[in-house]
Amino acid sequence: MSEIISAKKEEINLDPKETRISVKRKLEPYAFLLPSLLLFGLFVYYPFFKTLYMSFSLTNAHGEFQEFIGIQNYVEIFTSTDFINSLVVTMQFVVITTIPSVVIGLVLALLANNKIKGIGISKVMFAVPIAVSSASASIIWGIIFHPSIGMLNNILKTSIGWLIDPHWALLSVAFVTIWMNVGVNFIFILAGLKNVPREILESSSIDGARYFRKLFKIIIPMISPTLFFMVFMDIMNAFQSFGQVNILTNGGPGNSTNVLVFSIYREAFFNGRFDTASAQSIILFIIMFVIAIFQFSYEKKGVHYS
Amino acid sequence: MENKKSNIMLLIANLVVGLLIISPILYALSVTFMTTDQIHTMPPKFLPKNFFLGNYKDVIAAVPIFRFIFNSFLVATVVTIGQIITSCLSAYAFAFYEFKGKKILFIIMIATIMVPGEAIIISNYLTISSLNLLDTYTGLILPYLTSAMGIFMMRQYFLTVPIELSEASIIDGCTGLQFLTKILMPISKPIIGSLGIYMFLLTWNQYMWPLLITSKPEMRTVQIGISMLKSAEVQSFGMMLAGIIIIIIPSIFIFIIGQKQLIDGMTSGSVKG
Amino acid sequence: MKKRLVSTLLAVMVSASMLSGCGSATKQASSKTVTGAKAEHVNITFWHGMGGNLGVSLNKLVKDFNDSQKNITVTAQFQGDYDAALNKLKSSQLSNSGPDVMQCYDIGTRYMIDSKAIVPVQNFIDKEKYNISILEPNLLAYYTVDKKLNSMPFNSSTPILYYNKTAFKAAGLDPNTPPKTLTEVETMAKKLLKKDVSGKVTQYGYAMPIYAWFFEQFMIKQGKDYANNGNGRTEAATTVEYNKNGGGLTLLNEWKKLVDSGNVGNFGRKTEDTQNSFMAGNTAMYLDSTASLSSVLTGVDKKFEVGTGFLPKVNSIDKGGVSIGGASLWIMDKKDEAKQQASWEFLKFMVSAKEQAYWNANTGYFPVNKQAYNLKEVKDNLVKYPQFQTAIDQLHASSPASKGALLGVFPEARAATETNIESMLGGKQTPQEALDNAAKIANSAIEKYNKTNK
Repeated sequence: MSEIISAKKEEINLDPKETRISVKRKLEPYAFLLPSLLLFGLFVYYPFFKTLYMSFSLTNAHGEFQEFIGIQNYVEIFTSTDFINSLVVTMQFVVITTIPSVVIGLVLALLANNKIKGIGISKVMFAVPIAVSSASASIIWGIIFHPSIGMLNNILKTSIGWLIDPHWALLSVAFVTIWMNVGVNFIFILAGLKNVPREILESSSIDGARYFRKLFKIIIPMISPTLFFMVFMDIMNAFQSFGQVNILTNGGPGNSTNVLVFSIYREAFFNGRFDTASAQSIILFIIMFVIAIFQFSYEKKGVHYS
Repeated sequence: MENKKSNIMLLIANLVVGLLIISPILYALSVTFMTTDQIHTMPPKFLPKNFFLGNYKDVIAAVPIFRFIFNSFLVATVVTIGQIITSCLSAYAFAFYEFKGKKILFIIMIATIMVPGEAIIISNYLTISSLNLLDTYTGLILPYLTSAMGIFMMRQYFLTVPIELSEASIIDGCTGLQFLTKILMPISKPIIGSLGIYMFLLTWNQYMWPLLITSKPEMRTVQIGISMLKSAEVQSFGMMLAGIIIIIIPSIFIFIIGQKQLIDGMTSGSVKG
Repeated sequence: MKKRLVSTLLAVMVSASMLSGCGSATKQASSKTVTGAKAEHVNITFWHGMGGNLGVSLNKLVKDFNDSQKNITVTAQFQGDYDAALNKLKSSQLSNSGPDVMQCYDIGTRYMIDSKAIVPVQNFIDKEKYNISILEPNLLAYYTVDKKLNSMPFNSSTPILYYNKTAFKAAGLDPNTPPKTLTEVETMAKKLLKKDVSGKVTQYGYAMPIYAWFFEQFMIKQGKDYANNGNGRTEAATTVEYNKNGGGLTLLNEWKKLVDSGNVGNFGRKTEDTQNSFMAGNTAMYLDSTASLSSVLTGVDKKFEVGTGFLPKVNSIDKGGVSIGGASLWIMDKKDEAKQQASWEFLKFMVSAKEQAYWNANTGYFPVNKQAYNLKEVKDNLVKYPQFQTAIDQLHASSPASKGALLGVFPEARAATETNIESMLGGKQTPQEALDNAAKIANSAIEKYNKTNK
C-alpha cells in the first residue's frame, strides 16, 4: 500500500536558495488537508469515539449512559443467533450486489462510449437510477413486486411473493440495490473510459474474440483505478444499505434481509438499546475496515497507474 | 458499410437497454395518471385510462413541494461545491506531496467511509443542536461539506496525472495551489463533473438527516416531502408516485445539464498531451 | 486564491443561515407568560405522524383552533411516521428541543409514562373538573393507568373484518352474514377460493397480515392476558404470558391451519399489501383497521360491494372484545406552565364534538367524543358508509376491561412475534416453538428495560 501512496510522487529537491519556499511547501499538504480533517473530526471521529465508549456501557431507553459493563455487550451480540444471522445475510448481500453492479456498469459504459448520433439519450437513460433516491426507488419497486397488483408477477406470469417469501426477499432487495448502483457505476466508469485513447476503442469491428481479448488485456487494465474505486465504493455502500431494506422488507421476512446496518438501526431506534447497537456498529466498522485493507493490498497487484 | 450497420445495431442496443433501465420510472409515471380504483386491479394495467391529474393536484395541496425543491436545491448545491473543494484539496495533498503521516492520514480519512451513518447520526444531531443550528440551512449542510469518497476518487484520478506536469509548473513559478486550481482541476473536469453530479444527487436524496434536524415545514427537503405523502394506516399510491415523479424531474434535469457541460466537455487524450 | 474560496464559502453559509433567519426568530418569540394582569400570546409546537390525507385533515383542525381564539398559536409539524416521530422525540429530549404536544402511538404509551417527561392530562381534568364522561370510555380506559388518564385519545381505531359481498354472493354465501369465528372463516374461505384454468389462485378466501396488533387483539378476544401483572397495568410487566396461558397457542394453531389449507393467502407483514390484494379482488376477506375504511372504499370503487364485520372470535365461546389502536395526544413537560395550559386548551378543542365529527368524516377514525354522533356530519357519513357502523357497534360491544397491554418494549416484542409467526407459517417451527422463541426475546427485552429504566 505504501508503494502506491508514494507512487512516483517523489519529494522535489529544491536548492538552498528556495528554502523559504520549501518550508511553505512542506506545510502545504497539511493546510490542504485541514478543512476535511476538521469536518471529519467533529462529525465523524468524535461521534465514533462516543459510539465506542457506549459499546462498553449500559444505556437507558434515552441513550443515556448508565454504567460501564466492559465487553458484556459484545458477548451478548456474539451469542445471539439474530446477530450471527445478520452477519451472514450482510455478507451474502454484499457479494450478490457488488459483482453485478460493476459488471453491468462496465457493460453500459462500453455501450455508451461510442460516437454515434443519438447516443446522448441512452447516456441519460443509463444514469437515471442516480436521480432516484433509495426511498423513491424502493416505493416504486415495492409496488412492482407486489404479489397481486404488481407488474412483475403480471409480466412473468408467476405468483411469487418477491418480498414475502424468505427464499426471494434478499434477492429482490439486492436486485433493487443493483438497479440503483448501475447509474453511478456507469457514470464513473464512463469517465474513466475517457482516458482510453480513441484508437484503441475503435480499432476493431464487432469481432467477438478480438474484442474480448482487447477488453481484458487492454481496456480493463487501463481503467483499473476506476474499477478498483467502483468495487470499493459498491462494497462499502452495500454494507451501509439501509433505505431499501427499511421500505421493502423491514429486515424480514423471518430476518432474511436483516443486514447489519438495519439491525443497528432497529436496535438503537426501535428497541431503544443504544448500547448493543453501538457494539454492533463497532463490529460492522471493523469488518468493513478489514475488507478495505484486503482490497488495498490487492490494489498493489491488480491496479495499474500510468 | 460495415461501420454504419454496426453503428445502427449499437444504437439500437443502447436504446433498448436504456428503456429497460428506466422502465420502472416509466411505469411509475403511468400509474400517477391512474385513479385509485384503476391502480388496485388485478391484473395490473400498464396504461391509464386517461390523464387523471388529481394525484398531482393532491400532492401540491398536501405538501409545499416547491419550497422543498428549492431547499434541496440550495443545500445540494452548497454541499457539492464544498465537497469538490475539500476533496480536491485533500486529494491533491495525497497525490502530489510527500509528507510525514501521509499514510496514516489517508487511512483515517478513508476509514470514515466505514463508520455506519446510523451510529453517528444522533451524536451529530446533538452537536448541531448545541450549536443552535437546528432548522437552518447551515445545519443541513455543515456535516457534509467533505466526503471521503470524494477525496478517494479525486486521489485515484490525480495519481494518473504525470508528475512531470507538476514539476514543470514549479519551474514556471506556480505555487502548489495555483497548480491545483489553474492546471490540475481544469484537466480533471470529467471526474469532477461525475463527482459533482453524484454528490448533488446524493444530497438531494438524503432523508434521515434532514428529518432529524428540521421540524419546520419551510425548512424541509424533498425526500421528507415524499414521506409526508404516506400515512400510518392508509395508502395512496397515486399521490406518492406523483410526488416521486415531481422530484425526480429536477434531478434528471441536473444530470442532463451536468453531463453535457462537464463530462462530454472533455475530449480524451489531453492528459497524455 | 484559497482565502477567496474560503471566504466565499463562509459567505454562502452565512447568507444561507440568514435566509433561514426567519425560522430561528420564531423560536425566540415563544414568550414567557407573565402570570398576572395581561395574558401574553403563547406559541406551542405539535409533533405528529400524520401524512397523506390524514395530514391534510389534521392541519385543518389545527387551523380551526388557531382561528377560534387569539391567545394561542399551534404550529403542527409532521415528523415522519409514528416510529420516526418517537425517535425524534427521544433525541430531542436529550437537548431539550422537543414539542409541547406530541402524538404518540398506542404501543409507545408505557415509554411515554416512564419517561417522566409528560404531564398527565388527569392533572388538568381534576383542576378544571372537566367532564370526561362525554368521551368514549373504552378509549379512555386504554390510556388510563393507576386511575390517571395520561394522554388524550385522538385518533383511535379497532380491527375489523373486511369482506367482498359480491364474491360472497357468487360463492353462494349470505352477503350479510360475515364469519363470526375463525372456524367459520375456514369454511367460508374454502367456498370462496377461485382458481384459473392453469391452477393459479385468482381469489383467496381470506388473508391476514402478519401484524402483531392482530395477535394482541385475538388474545383480548379470548380474554387472555398478553403479559403478567395485569397486562402490565397493575405494575410493570416482567414477563409475557401469551406462550403460557394457551391463548397464543390456540390462535397460532388456527392461523397455521388457515394458511395450510391453501384457501388463505399470505401477503406478509404490511397491512397495506394485504389491503391492496383485497382491493384488487385477490382475496375475498381480510383484517384491517377501521381507519382504512374510506381508502378501501375509494380503491374498490364500483368493482364490488364491501362489507365489514366484527373481528372474528378465536373460539366460539370467547367473550372478550377488542382494544384500540391508533394514537393519542400527550402534553410534554417543558417546565412552562403557560405552555402546558395552552396545550390543554388545544387538546380539549381537538376532542370537541365538532372537530371530531370532521375528523371522523374525513378519515376513518372513531369520534372520541360521543356527542359527535349527534352531529349532522357524522350522521351523513354513516348513511354514506354504513360499513362504518360495524366499527362503532364493535367498540360499544366491548367493555372497557378489554384493553391492551402496556409494555415499555412493545415495538421489539411485536417484531419478535411477527418474525416467529413468519417462520412458523414457513414451516420452520411449530406454533409453541414460535411462541416460546418470541417470548424469550420479549422477556429479555423487558428485563433489560426494567433494569435500566427505574
